[in-house]
Amino acid sequence: MSSDLGSTDAIQRAFRERGYIAERSLATAVFLGLQLGRPLLLEGEAGVGKTELAKVLAASLEAPLIRLQCYEGLDVNTAVYEWNYPRQMLEIRLLEARGAAGQANAHDIFGAEFLIKRPLLQALESPGGIAPVLLIDEIDRADEEFEAYLLEILSDFQVTIPEIGTVRADKPPRVILTSNRTREVHDALKRRCLYHWIDFPTAEKEREIVLTRLPAAPAKLARQVVDFVHRLRAADLTKVPGIAETLDWAAALMALGAAELSETIVDETLGVVLKYEEDIRHVKGPAARSYLAEVAGGAVGGAAAGT
Amino acid sequence: MIRPPAAVDGRRLVAQSAAFGRALRRAGLGVDLGAEIDFARALQVVDIGDRDEVRDAGAAVFVRRRDDRPTYDDVFDRFWRARHRLPPEVQPGDLQPVDQAEAGEPEPGDAALLGDERRAELDDQLRALLPSDEGETEGEADDELVISPDAYSHSEVLRHLEFDRMTPSELRDAERLVDLLEPRLELRRTRRYELHQHGRRLAARAMFRRSLSSGGEIVSWVWQRQRRRPRPIVVICDISGSMERHSRLLLRFIQALSASSAVRTESFVFGTRLTRVTRILRDRDRDRALNRVSEAVNDWAGGTRIGESFREFNLRWARRTLRSSGIVIVVSDGWDRGDPGLVAAETSRLRRSCHRLVWLNPLAGTPGYQPLAAGMRAAYPYIDDFLPAGSVASLERLGEILAGVRAGDVDRSREAAAHVAADGGASAASEAAIAAPRVVSGPSRDPEAAEPLRRA
Repeated sequence: MSSDLGSTDAIQRAFRERGYIAERSLATAVFLGLQLGRPLLLEGEAGVGKTELAKVLAASLEAPLIRLQCYEGLDVNTAVYEWNYPRQMLEIRLLEARGAAGQANAHDIFGAEFLIKRPLLQALESPGGIAPVLLIDEIDRADEEFEAYLLEILSDFQVTIPEIGTVRADKPPRVILTSNRTREVHDALKRRCLYHWIDFPTAEKEREIVLTRLPAAPAKLARQVVDFVHRLRAADLTKVPGIAETLDWAAALMALGAAELSETIVDETLGVVLKYEEDIRHVKGPAARSYLAEVAGGAVGGAAAGT
Repeated sequence: MIRPPAAVDGRRLVAQSAAFGRALRRAGLGVDLGAEIDFARALQVVDIGDRDEVRDAGAAVFVRRRDDRPTYDDVFDRFWRARHRLPPEVQPGDLQPVDQAEAGEPEPGDAALLGDERRAELDDQLRALLPSDEGETEGEADDELVISPDAYSHSEVLRHLEFDRMTPSELRDAERLVDLLEPRLELRRTRRYELHQHGRRLAARAMFRRSLSSGGEIVSWVWQRQRRRPRPIVVICDISGSMERHSRLLLRFIQALSASSAVRTESFVFGTRLTRVTRILRDRDRDRALNRVSEAVNDWAGGTRIGESFREFNLRWARRTLRSSGIVIVVSDGWDRGDPGLVAAETSRLRRSCHRLVWLNPLAGTPGYQPLAAGMRAAYPYIDDFLPAGSVASLERLGEILAGVRAGDVDRSREAAAHVAADGGASAASEAAIAAPRVVSGPSRDPEAAEPLRRA
């Protein structure tokens, strides 16, 4: 059964059942996106669960998830549709063989059966009566040309194919766009979307996420890992660890059989959390030791953020 | 799924939504009519008695970039406090001022809405904090202006005024620079293709298309090649004391370049702190733009902090402005009050995130110049091209670099490495080797690199 997503609370509940702990403001944004039929643009640091949200939404709605990963040079032929040239070529030969080539017109070879549907066109169809969830991932990686193309699709949920005409969605897809802000998304595109900035969760929320995702994790380890990561986020780093890194780290420590953080194990596994050499050098050793002391003393996050 | 709106007067919601939108717009958010309508619709589906939910709903609709959120929260608090925290639908008097405002008297109407004399104060604060919304639709990041309200005195105002005055000869230099460079900017291949008769890749689609007119028989080849675009240029100008004049020339140049061609340009100025001035420089009135740059920057008297400024750039701006491997031009004399270690680390990072790092130094034109200033010495090993600023010869040399004439034939950073080797700084050279594995430690100075020095 697909879940009822008729209120902010219902969305939070449905997401939680599927292992996604959403802040209330995020749930409100999703709720409004569903109610108003608007695409939702999510921004935030890498690893805060932007992509994951689309997956959970699709699962909650029991709708298919169609994902379009953006990159520079992404064009209409890979994102929307393409003509099946070999088949068209064969068709012409067949018509010729039947001696009918003279009467053939463009419609015969530019029909729907020669069309290869790419993600954006697929998203306009709703097989089984359920509109799909369309995830346009990392829109900031695509170039301006592609963004401009998205405008038509996102405002009217339609695509114009010159040879066929306009394809309109019978049920508008639920659209989630994500961006890591490597560049600013154009205002025209933003205007068509609802917007939400996903922040790093509080220590309490993050602990909940770790325990939801890794039920086998010892409570003490989960608390220490989360507090340590929170301490890292407050430090002056090139790239702060996201929730994904917290989860990876906790899983790594469990795999190593650690029940709690210690100096050696932190130094050995720091590469799971920090991905820049400068950052590792900055943290390893004395800094890590002082963070560890704070974490062990419960000075960070834990008690304070828990209240 | 939408709850029956019977209990709520739709027209009143729209009016209130519009009033709130207007308050946000006055605070500097880019709110349009569509967002106001969306908010009215949102109020029909969320729990209107739940203040936080209304706040979140409004944020999803009105806020379009993260930096706008604090402003939004501020306006939200003031707006609904002025309404005595009553849910919107039970405010009988509200419609009155809103309608007035819509009839074309925004000032009195809105004054009534915000309700107290602090409105004017708020407005002033907000106006001071936010850039004007000219050209807002261009869709670039525009809001990261760092302006500190402190540190302002009369003598500084005088300095500001000098900043935007240029002698005719300086203007000519700037124009000349643009004329010199614009047609020759280095092009970078993008990942998009265009049909071109000298392309090297078959354009299958276009070929098939054309073959249809000959009954499916392919009669001619169609080729495509990668489209090219100029690399983005980022200028980081030191505007402290003696550097002012040189920076001004470069800013003039960036102004002209961004106005006249398709090159993406970004400009920053720094003294003790980095300030982004890209937006300001887009003003069509170029003198006014430079004037505003000087107004925007309040840290004139504070000396130079290269390390911190570069750090700020690396953390906040590098990923957003250098994405497609841009060229960074730094204008500074390298006199730095901060920690040389930080300058070295941050310059090294800056260099790794751009295509080419060019440093213009006005002192470098002096015969026998050695980079002895602490900051300059620290940054030196990581610079691709080190040029004297302010002479025609150096501008021509800059032209060559931007045109990419030598990007292919000289290994990157070889010049700098050569300088260091000549300098006799063994430790600095080894640092360079760590930072840049591609360094070829040339035994002598690159003769071409030295040439502008002699001409100047």
